[in-house]
Amino acid sequence: MFVWGQSWEKSMMNCETHKADMWVPPPLSNVSFAPNSYPLFSHNKVSIFFCKMDVTLGLLADSPAGHGDAGGGVPSGGSTTARPILTGSKEDNNKNSMVMSSEVTSSYPVVVDQNLNDLELGLGLSIGCGLKSKGWSQYARILTAKDFPTCKQNSSSSSSSVSIPNSGTKRTATDSVSPPNCTSVVGWPPVSKAHRMPSLANEIKSPNGNLISITEQNKSKIRTIGIKDCSKKKYQSVKVNMDGSLIGRKVDLNVHTSYEMLAQTLEQMFFRRRSSTEAAKYSRLLDGTSQFVLTYEDKDGDCMLVGDVPWQMFLSSVKRLRIMKNSQSNELAPRFQENNERHRTDAV
Amino acid sequence: MGFPEEVLEHVFSFITSHTDRNVVSLVCKSWYEIERWCRRRIFVGNCYAVSPAMMIRRFPEVRSVELKGKPHFADFNLVPDGWGGYFYPWICEMARAYPWLEEIKLKRMVVTDDNLELISKSFKNFKVLVLSSCEGFSTHGLAAIAANCRNLRELDLRESEVEDLSGHWLSHFPDSCTSLQSLNMSCLSSEVSFSALQRLIARSPNLKTLRLNRAVPLEKLSTLLRRAPQLVELGTGAYSAEIRPDVYANLTEAFSRCKEVKGLSGFWDVLPSYLPAIYSVCSRLTSLNLSYATIQSPDVTKIITQCPNLQSLSVLDYIEDTGLNALSLSCKDLRELRVFPSDPFVANANVSLTEQGLVAVSEGCSKLQSVLYFCRQMSNSALTTIAKNRPNLTCFRLCILEPRAPDYLTFEPLDVGFGAIVEHCKQLQRLSLSGLLTDRVFEYIGKWAKKLEMLSIAFAGDSDLGLHHVLSGCDSLRKLEIRDCPFGDKALLANVSKLETMRSLWMSSCSVSLGACKRLSQKMPRLNVEVIDEQGDLDSRPDNCHVEKLYIYRTVAGPRFDMPSFIRTMDQNPTYRS
Repeated sequence: MFVWGQSWEKSMMNCETHKADMWVPPPLSNVSFAPNSYPLFSHNKVSIFFCKMDVTLGLLADSPAGHGDAGGGVPSGGSTTARPILTGSKEDNNKNSMVMSSEVTSSYPVVVDQNLNDLELGLGLSIGCGLKSKGWSQYARILTAKDFPTCKQNSSSSSSSVSIPNSGTKRTATDSVSPPNCTSVVGWPPVSKAHRMPSLANEIKSPNGNLISITEQNKSKIRTIGIKDCSKKKYQSVKVNMDGSLIGRKVDLNVHTSYEMLAQTLEQMFFRRRSSTEAAKYSRLLDGTSQFVLTYEDKDGDCMLVGDVPWQMFLSSVKRLRIMKNSQSNELAPRFQENNERHRTDAV
Repeated sequence: MGFPEEVLEHVFSFITSHTDRNVVSLVCKSWYEIERWCRRRIFVGNCYAVSPAMMIRRFPEVRSVELKGKPHFADFNLVPDGWGGYFYPWICEMARAYPWLEEIKLKRMVVTDDNLELISKSFKNFKVLVLSSCEGFSTHGLAAIAANCRNLRELDLRESEVEDLSGHWLSHFPDSCTSLQSLNMSCLSSEVSFSALQRLIARSPNLKTLRLNRAVPLEKLSTLLRRAPQLVELGTGAYSAEIRPDVYANLTEAFSRCKEVKGLSGFWDVLPSYLPAIYSVCSRLTSLNLSYATIQSPDVTKIITQCPNLQSLSVLDYIEDTGLNALSLSCKDLRELRVFPSDPFVANANVSLTEQGLVAVSEGCSKLQSVLYFCRQMSNSALTTIAKNRPNLTCFRLCILEPRAPDYLTFEPLDVGFGAIVEHCKQLQRLSLSGLLTDRVFEYIGKWAKKLEMLSIAFAGDSDLGLHHVLSGCDSLRKLEIRDCPFGDKALLANVSKLETMRSLWMSSCSVSLGACKRLSQKMPRLNVEVIDEQGDLDSRPDNCHVEKLYIYRTVAGPRFDMPSFIRTMDQNPTYRS
């Protein structure tokens, strides 16, 4: 179990039972390993992540080529075979490093091996600070909370500046400077085509006949409900009956954002023969020119005309909808239920 | 070894696993010979690792061939069009050499209508065709299969991209075809002739798996179900219709007759009012795929709480933490969970699904082995809890939607959390990482993940040391895919021999230089080091420039020649000088 601090000693001891060269990259000709640098994160305090084994591991006698040195990694200085720092008797060195770890506090990376004449490294919070290798200084700095603009705020709405800056990861200058975010990176998140379908496949028509994606659907839901409202009904489906029709329907009010949209949906549901051009105009259910009138039953049982109150208020009080013949619209008093028992045959 | 050949052959016939077969063939020459003549099933994990001629030469009596083509990252548009993976050379040779071939299973390969027609006409006893995430063919090819394969048992087009010209292909199944056991046409969009479908189902008494496409209307589902009450796996079409009592009643009754149904899928455009129709089968369900169902948490929960025998669940993140909590309490037999994002391209959470849902499932479902989880926040403590709860995990794929997102509680990297996963889950075979990760996590992986076979890394690590830890430590590693990580030449060049023990390595948007690719290729003649660079002429690039994408795989077939101009196999000429 890797826990910072105390158990590093334990993990060091565990490591010793493994092959010594597990922690050490094999000797390579003409290639030197660049030292590690670990990102330093700060959220009101500095905490440093590194592995003592890796500190010894990464600091080679050869001049570090630095990660910015691209290519096959042949240092032009013609250095000799790169060797891991734990040279000579590996057992000895391991013991040294063991000793080192128990002596040194966990806060600072320290170089103890005397063989590192060529390596310039100073004590410091940042491993990379003392190194002359190019391209490293940018990777070791203390990050503060402000480097994570969106982490703390779940409700932040700017999706363009969503991501964590690149510090802590090594990228060369040729790589893109701007950090990736959810929307601009190819192939991320890794959702295969088959599972990208839900957002495309479940489309509903907006009032002007355009397809809107489920994203829009969700957004409208969020607008009308509010994200943090725990008592929200995400799915507010009410029954709709039309006078003279035996078949009742159901409509999800949360999908709609206005009376106009609701009326369009109902018109499409019940008055199929209307042409699409008519659908583009104002709904006739609401403007009184149709022979039908859209009414609803509120939570008190009263039959009300749709459109009188603000949309949100309507959503919170509507129980079911009824498309009433215009001739009866003056008689809004009659109990809604009586009429329903005569006309309605709902399935569910 | 004094047994007669027939006896050994008989013994070998009980050895079905590919790995075991391979081991048997290495015992001695005579066993190699006997084994190769009686091998009936071949699996080629990388279609470029071996040539069709080699396969046919060694195994002359094969009945089933399974091939995989493109790298896995092709699913996420990282592999450019024209990359390869053509089935053509294989079918040409197999048509000639394997007249008794019965099964072809392809994944991520390019298959044409001509190929399909050749299949349909070359193999008299052809039974099984599975095209998984394939492309390049149209419904005309399917018509040829339907028309000519007299004994077709299985036609499975899962997630393939098919040029859907018409639904008429289904009508090409002759009336005499009664052998169908499995039909998966869920990826098609065109409407097929309903009467043809109905008649096909009616005359297929052994039909066990039927996955309809979205165009099959819900009103007609009951008609089909009534003709196939023996179905074990059903994929519905669109799951909504006008609310009509007769439709609902018919559907409920039809489902209640399906006493054998164990798996359900489909559920496009769900109208929740119709969901209760499936309740009668819920208690027997072992597999449920609701990953296309945009239904909210209460409706999902209502279903899953009625499925106590559920072993595999795929669902959208609409299920939310509350639904996952209910899952953890109701489905104690759960082995596999996949939670897909409903709105993956939006930074802010549209649903209340967090790490808590997964923690709950890890606590409640003791048999959980396989996880694919998309979410927007994760913490080291949650990952550690999950690891300790479920040391029996074999597949753990976590995708935090935001690249490099840290532990949302402490803002630290998620190294410790993933470290706990690999430390506790000793049988872990597949791992996908995400979130903010330093080289530390790779140290843990190299140290603990000894059974790991497939590792996917994105936006992680600090230096070559990270990659080195993986290549030097993961003894069982077969497939490694990396994108957008600061890994360069050193780790690769320090671990060249490791690469030959693996099937493949994919690296894109990393820091590997062209020169290193050339050197790697020279050192390892049995690796194909393919550089993909859509920007321009590779020949004129300097050696220290970084390559866009790199695909390295072991092969005994040498370099391939079916590549577009922007893909180049690094020259293996030993006299090459960089």
